[in-house]
Order: sequence, then C-alpha cells, then structure tokens
Amino acid sequence: MREFLAFIKRFQIFLFFVLLQGISLSFYFSNVNFPKSQYLTSASNINGWLFSWEKYFTSLFDLGNQNRQLQKEYAHLKEKNPVSFHQINRQYYKIEDTLYKQRYNYISGEIIQSGWAKRNNYFTINVGKKQGVKRGMGVFSTKGVVGVVSIAGTHFSVVKSLLTENINLDVMNIKTGAFGILKWDGKHPRFGTIYGVSNDIKLKKWSEIVTRGESGIFPKGLKVGKIAKIKAIEGKPLWEIKVLFSEDFRTTQYVFVIKHLMQNELEELIRKIPQDKVED
Amino acid sequence: MNIIRHIIRFFLIVLAQSFLLNQIEVGLGIQWMIYPLFIFLLPIKTPIFWLLFLSFLLGISIDIFSNTFGLHASSAVFIAAVRNYWYQLIESKEDLEEMEELSISQLGFFKIAILQGFLILLHHLWFFSFEMFKWTEFLFIIQKTLLSMPCSLALIVIIQKIFFKKVH
Repeated sequence: MREFLAFIKRFQIFLFFVLLQGISLSFYFSNVNFPKSQYLTSASNINGWLFSWEKYFTSLFDLGNQNRQLQKEYAHLKEKNPVSFHQINRQYYKIEDTLYKQRYNYISGEIIQSGWAKRNNYFTINVGKKQGVKRGMGVFSTKGVVGVVSIAGTHFSVVKSLLTENINLDVMNIKTGAFGILKWDGKHPRFGTIYGVSNDIKLKKWSEIVTRGESGIFPKGLKVGKIAKIKAIEGKPLWEIKVLFSEDFRTTQYVFVIKHLMQNELEELIRKIPQDKVED
Repeated sequence: MNIIRHIIRFFLIVLAQSFLLNQIEVGLGIQWMIYPLFIFLLPIKTPIFWLLFLSFLLGISIDIFSNTFGLHASSAVFIAAVRNYWYQLIESKEDLEEMEELSISQLGFFKIAILQGFLILLHHLWFFSFEMFKWTEFLFIIQKTLLSMPCSLALIVIIQKIFFKKVH
C-alpha cells in the first residue's frame, strides 16, 4: 500500500496529465460521431448570443449581395403563384386541393458561425427547439444542400455541413438515376466525392447531382452539385465521381431547415421491413 | 495584480481566437492559432498542476466556440506538459530563474522564435493528427502542420512585439 502511494506521489503530475488528456480526447471522440448535448458547443445559449451579435455587424457588409439573391428567389416563386398563370380551361375552379398534401415545411434561419478549413466543419444557425428544429433534420440554402442538424439547442443549433467526414449523403444523378454516397475528403471546400456508382453506367460530365430523398431527411431532387470529374477506381468496378458543390460553403448565409411532416410514418414503415439475418 | 493581468489576457485571447481568427479562413488547411501564447506567457515558476489545469481551461473555452469538442484542450494540455522541459533545454537554468516570464525584449526575436516555434509545431502536429486520425492522411497532416505553423508563429511573435512593453 505504501509503495502504491509512493508510486502515485511520484507520478502525480503524469497521472494528472493523463487524466486531462483522457477527459478531452474521450469527449472529442464520443462527440465527433454522435453529438449529444448542446452544452460546450456553439449551440448553447451564451455562445449563440455572442455569435449572433458578431453576425449582426459582419452581415452588414454583404447585404447587397444577399438582397439580390433573395430577389431572384422571390421572382422565381412568384412565377409559380396561381396569379401569374393564365387559366385556359375555365370549367374548373380550384377550391381545395385534396390531391396534394403538405409533406415538407421549411424553417428559415441564418448561419451565425461557420467554417470550411477544418476537417469537420460545423455551422451554427439561429433557430432551435423553440422554432421546431430537431436533431437529424436536413438543411439547405437557395443554391443547394448544406447539411444535417446534429445538435438542437433551445434557440440555436449546430449543423453538420457537407464538409465533414461522416456526412454520407444519399445522392443520385438526375439523368441516369445512378445513386451513391457523397463524402468529403477534407481538402477543397468546393469539391466532394461520390462512391458506390457502378462503372457500367455512362455518366455525363456536368450533369446534375441531386438528393435521393430515401431517408426522408431531404426531399427528392434537391440540388447538390454537378459532376466535375469521373475516375475509375483501380481493381473495383466502381466510379469515383468528383462533384462540384452548387453551394459555396464559404459564403452561405441564409438557410432553411426541413421539417418532414411524414417522417414518423416513413420510419415506421422502414422499421417493418424484415431484416436480413447476419450469418456468422 | 499579476493574476488580474493573466485573467484579462485569457479572455482577450479566447475572444480574439474564436471571433476573429476562426473566421479568417484561407484554405490549404491553414489554421491560425494564437491561444498557445497564453501558455507561453504564464510565469515560468507556475506550479505544473496550475499550468496543466489552466491550459485545459483555455483549450476547452476555445473548443466551445469552434465546435471541436475537446481537441484544442487536448493539444493545449500537451504543450503545457512539454513547455518547461523545452525551455530548460534551450535556456540555462540561471537565465530562466531571472526571468518572470518570457519577454521578447529580453530574449530577442530569434530565441523567442525557437522557444515558441517548436512548441507550436508540436501543438499543431498533435492537433491535426487527432483531427484527421488516419494513417492514410499522413501527408495531409504534415501539410497542414507545416503550413499553419509559420502563420501561427508569425502572429504570436508580432503580438508580443506590439503589445508587450519593454522590461527594464
């Protein structure tokens, strides 16, 4: 016993060092894959307020640009308004459309803190549980997909952007319907890579890549990017496809969070699919 | 008085790191980090427990603002542990005992760059290795470290040159 105490006393500094390293590294590795709490991240209230205060000043510099973009979007939506259509068949009147039921709602928000130079880049947005944001909801901007909510705080949330290691987004080519998984290699903020597309499918350069909408996080057909380069993987019958993101994550400011109104129904159905038995 | 000075320094460095430098991103894997400055400037006679604990606190504060969940804390604690050994290796014991903390006016530009540069190199290597955490990305880790190190060091030295008064 005395020897043990002497041992501890001799190595107390080293043990303290190991303890601190243990705390920080275990916290890091447990959170980088499965974020749990809003505390100690930028989704917590105090940090959120600080960042939105900073954002208030810095966003003033880009107002002109943002306005132009919103105007464009507004004009585009205005075109779809029934008012701007000329009715050809005068026999029918639209009273209440029961053929279509609302499937997705969008919550608009603003990015108050972001990054693109790290290996895993998270964005903080100024909407949280109070506005109906939950973990796992998709986030997109006017130009394309941005990411998935990974921590929902009370008033702020942290979004795992496409520029992270484990994003694994289901995407497909709009022309051929070939689908694969989108990943980011951590190098250039404008390019991602799609894996898992069989190389007997002929793909066209610069054809569009959109979300597949399989998991219900994103609606089908949301813009992701364009094919920039197609390369064969050696020794495997697969393409390695380089994608130019349609969204420039260095300048993203305004985003929409997707609320899928039929998510529960979809998940329940998926749960009923009989699982394949794993053979050992 | 001295303690208050260090506390103010702590908050200024955390704010500058998270609201200024984290927002300036230049690509190629370059990240500016000035917060090791706080660890370098803690008095040389600081008890090792306090040195480790304060570095941990500093790292965690940076982590909170940059969503890195403890990565900065780990690297800060690492260089805090190495710091004194490295100082003793470069400087003689008598010289170190005379000084209260490292000062650029006393030691000169070149010596400060060596003393702090190596620790920054270790810090960045530790940080980026755990950030990537893959052997296949080894070259990218080296690239990030070697590109970020001069940037951080330049900032840290310039800040010391501008903001710290000469000790007579």
